[in-house]
Amino acid sequence: MRFFILLCLVHSSALAQSKFTISGYVKDAANGEALIGATIYVKSLNTGATTNVYGFYSITLESRAYDIDISYIGFATQSKLLVLNENTRLDVELKAEGKQLEAVVVSSTRDEEGVKALEMSTNRLDIKTILKIPAFLGEADVVKSLLQLPGVSTVGEGASGFNVRGGSVGQNLILLDEATVYNSSHLLGFFSVFNPDAVKDTKLYKGAIPAQFGGRISSLLDVRMKEGNNKDYEINGGVGTIFSRASVEGPLFKGDGSFIVAGRRSYADILARPFVDVLKDGGALNFYDFTGKANYNINKRNRIFVSGYTGRDIFFFDRNQGFSWGNNTGTIRWNKIFNDRLFANFSGIFSRYDYSLQFGENDRDNFRWKSSIRNITFKPSFSYFLNTNNEISFGAEVNYYSFEPANAFGTSNGNRIDISLPEKYNLESALYLGNNQHLSPKTSIEYGLRYSYFAGYGPGKQFTYNDTIPGRRRNPIAEESISKGETTATYHNFEPRFSFKTELSDVSSVKASYTRMAQYLHLISNTTASNPLDVWTPTSNNIKPELADQWALGYFRNFGKEQTFEFSVEAYYRKTQNQIDYIDGADLLINEYLEGDLLTGVGRAYGMEFYLQKKVGRFTGWVAYTIARTELKVEGINRNEWYAARFDQTHNLKITSFYDLNKRWSASANFTLVSGTPSTFPTSRYMVQGMLIPYNALDSRNNVRLPAYHRLDLSFRLEGKTVKRNGNARKNSDYWVFGVYNLYARKNPFSIYFTQGKDRVTQGDPINSEARQLSIIGTVIPSVSYNFKF
Amino acid sequence: MQRFVIYSSVILLASSILFSCDVVINPELEKSDSVLVIDAWLNNAMGAQQIRLTRSQPYFERALPSGVSGAIIHVTDQNNQVYPFGETAPGVYQWTPAGNEVFGRVGFTYKLFVQVGAETFISEATMGRAPAIDSITFFLEPGGQFFDDLYQAQFWATDPQEPNDSYWIKTYKNGAQLLKPNEIITAYDAGFSKGGNFNGVPFIFPIRTAINPFDEDKNGKIKSPYVVGDSVYVQIQSVTEAAFNFLNEVRIQIDRPGGFGELFATSLANVSSNITNTNAKGSNVLGFFNVGAVTGLGRKFKSLDDLSQK
Repeated sequence: MRFFILLCLVHSSALAQSKFTISGYVKDAANGEALIGATIYVKSLNTGATTNVYGFYSITLESRAYDIDISYIGFATQSKLLVLNENTRLDVELKAEGKQLEAVVVSSTRDEEGVKALEMSTNRLDIKTILKIPAFLGEADVVKSLLQLPGVSTVGEGASGFNVRGGSVGQNLILLDEATVYNSSHLLGFFSVFNPDAVKDTKLYKGAIPAQFGGRISSLLDVRMKEGNNKDYEINGGVGTIFSRASVEGPLFKGDGSFIVAGRRSYADILARPFVDVLKDGGALNFYDFTGKANYNINKRNRIFVSGYTGRDIFFFDRNQGFSWGNNTGTIRWNKIFNDRLFANFSGIFSRYDYSLQFGENDRDNFRWKSSIRNITFKPSFSYFLNTNNEISFGAEVNYYSFEPANAFGTSNGNRIDISLPEKYNLESALYLGNNQHLSPKTSIEYGLRYSYFAGYGPGKQFTYNDTIPGRRRNPIAEESISKGETTATYHNFEPRFSFKTELSDVSSVKASYTRMAQYLHLISNTTASNPLDVWTPTSNNIKPELADQWALGYFRNFGKEQTFEFSVEAYYRKTQNQIDYIDGADLLINEYLEGDLLTGVGRAYGMEFYLQKKVGRFTGWVAYTIARTELKVEGINRNEWYAARFDQTHNLKITSFYDLNKRWSASANFTLVSGTPSTFPTSRYMVQGMLIPYNALDSRNNVRLPAYHRLDLSFRLEGKTVKRNGNARKNSDYWVFGVYNLYARKNPFSIYFTQGKDRVTQGDPINSEARQLSIIGTVIPSVSYNFKF
Repeated sequence: MQRFVIYSSVILLASSILFSCDVVINPELEKSDSVLVIDAWLNNAMGAQQIRLTRSQPYFERALPSGVSGAIIHVTDQNNQVYPFGETAPGVYQWTPAGNEVFGRVGFTYKLFVQVGAETFISEATMGRAPAIDSITFFLEPGGQFFDDLYQAQFWATDPQEPNDSYWIKTYKNGAQLLKPNEIITAYDAGFSKGGNFNGVPFIFPIRTAINPFDEDKNGKIKSPYVVGDSVYVQIQSVTEAAFNFLNEVRIQIDRPGGFGELFATSLANVSSNITNTNAKGSNVLGFFNVGAVTGLGRKFKSLDDLSQK
């Protein structure tokens, strides 16, 4: 690594005679926020660069005069005439376009992601778009907004997380300012943990993931927090049906830095308190989160950022019974510009997810269980802007994990018994190197390699299990104690990445990509929907790393006057190995021999994603349609044949639209139509010891489809008056949002389950057996919220 | 194990802000042939022992399963003593003891042999031990906003010091067995599951009090599990580890309270069987073979003077 940096430094000075570099940051003039993905375009050469996630760009050109355009959607383009006879630092602040115009331009993707960009299989949702999408109970939500994109699905309302291109919930890497978020949900899965007031940008990679990222095999959701306004103090807030929110941001160190703090809290408990006795006796029922970030420009070449998040869900009946879960993350980043062409970022990251569950009567009889996963990460990453045609990225990542599967004890009649399981310690590290290369003005490739290494460390135990009929519980036959510092299982993988783009014309392009990913942490969940009590467990001598190879091919085209429409179609095929499934009757919680209840198999997922967006005008929006199949094949399940994954959806249609009625009123609507997810139905029933047991005589898994799911949501937004009664402009701004979720009250099935019902049966009488369909939300849900800024 | 708490808090929370909807439907199910079911749970209580042979039915067929007649059944212990089971009613096969003889001895291994037509089905199980029940006590859970006063019972028994005992705890209220899906009570040592290390202690509180039936009245209000005049009888039956797993699998499959509990439910799966066809390519078989020791104790709730502390 050091050698490489040195090489870059030497190289850049050697070249400096004939060529010079323009570099700098592009920011929003209103608040100093770095603009991610702004374009720096050199007219005469028909080439350019885009800013990275910190708003930095670098472009190296021969010495002469250039006309340069700096642009970003929703902002007025700035043109600069530059005589390049030395390395030049050019920091640019762009001004937002007039308010009138801004209101009618809605875009979910920016210029660089359409036809011209090398990137494919990515979707960027900017926070303005997220705020406009009609949301459940009126709470704008980062994760739920993703469901409007092609290739993204969920098993139903209330389920935690999301599924991308046939990946399970635990196969998505969710990063909040680079820190892993292990559970992205509040209130089971109804809301996500990200406070929209503090989010600047979200980007979902469904494939073609750059070599810089790894650790999950399905997707990467990169959530970047706002830096805070470095010009003026600003307070934003809102009162909604579920949450109240408030955030404060403003300058630090006379504008050399800025900060933002944002918090949300649900208040169902406060409203319920007068009516519910239980809450008075140590009971609690709420969820909250706080997000904060600060940054400081030490000088032109050094900048530091500190950001953190803490959030928690608390459901307690009384002081002895209940459960709670939460994430904590912290990130320290140092942006260093070594020279005009070598940009570096060093991140130190901490993340922890924990949950606890307890019940009992008193101190003599109770049960307490805590579980957690935490990691400390160091991640240096470098971008070296070799020349206009090559941007090299390289870096490393070291993650140290500790898993606490169960810190648990029970007390029976005063006897306290410890049922804790030993902690597990692991190291996941990676090196990567990639290059983004323009082969010609129309053709670019990106290639990279990531090398990942994973090891388990003592103290701990490892088990060897017997072989048995596939699908049955394997029992431990040998136990080995691992002493402190000793390694247990180690694995390593080479993960090549490749992307290709060529423009067929000014308005169309073809792209292709190949991505290999390895995953060393596994989310253990065999329930219908993922939930907060799911356990993360590391790769071990018994669990191999999950691997995925994904191939994608896409066609992108703009059309219409002023390229009003953007169209894309992508096909993907994803092959996975060492996919985890579970024996029937698996015991996943507080089980030292958990690994004996796991099965592994292979997976395949393929599909096509169509996307059509109207970007300009009073009426904007997009249609996303995905046709897909996701299957697994696991020895011991479904007669060892392929079966549809729980989250497989054949058809997935989403329509998202926005319409500006007049200066103050705007409307938006969502329509969702998706195929039902698979479910297992019985064929028969039988009796043992008076118990009525369902039975599938064909030994099938997921043999039936639930009915289709469809739903229409609407929302109306009313902007507050911009002028006072006396005609002066108001300093503050505010708006109301009125929403309706599930407008026509469709009772969409979440699951169909088989039961004998609640009635008591007399011994000797035949037992009832019936099928029941459950809709988590079976009615219209209206909402209203008020939001302000001053 | 924590299911009760999860469900209840979730349901409480959910019902306060959301509206779920749960209705009976009539989906078409795949057709299949019926399968032989062997229900062979034997114990060392006084009296005759029965094994029932039936066939599986279509899922929605609401009728008692018909018996399978004409089988030859016997059980053999490790000393080659044979216990023949003769058919006394269609599908019901019985071993009748001579005099004060009881079936089975703790620590002995038993082999089941069932011949139906040309096919033979076999299994094996070892009889575990069951701790004596020392007492049954009643206590009052004072009423609150959501329910009236609830009179509940708990049984007191101490699991032996050595690990790896598993039990099925059955309750009879006024002589009728509690048979709701959530009333299938199992224990591994004095706790819920293997590896819990609850040894040499009384069964943990949730198990001690699992003998209370919770039913609702017409208005949806929870009725007191026991009222003055009721009697309760608790039986601990030792089960093999395989049978313990079987009972837990059955409970996972059939205890489906619906509502938000479905978010935590697993998908439907077949429960295991420890009975095999001697011809691996022969027809399928369902059911279970267990031999267990039983202990029991009953008590009548005579008056409120019977109440003691939780």
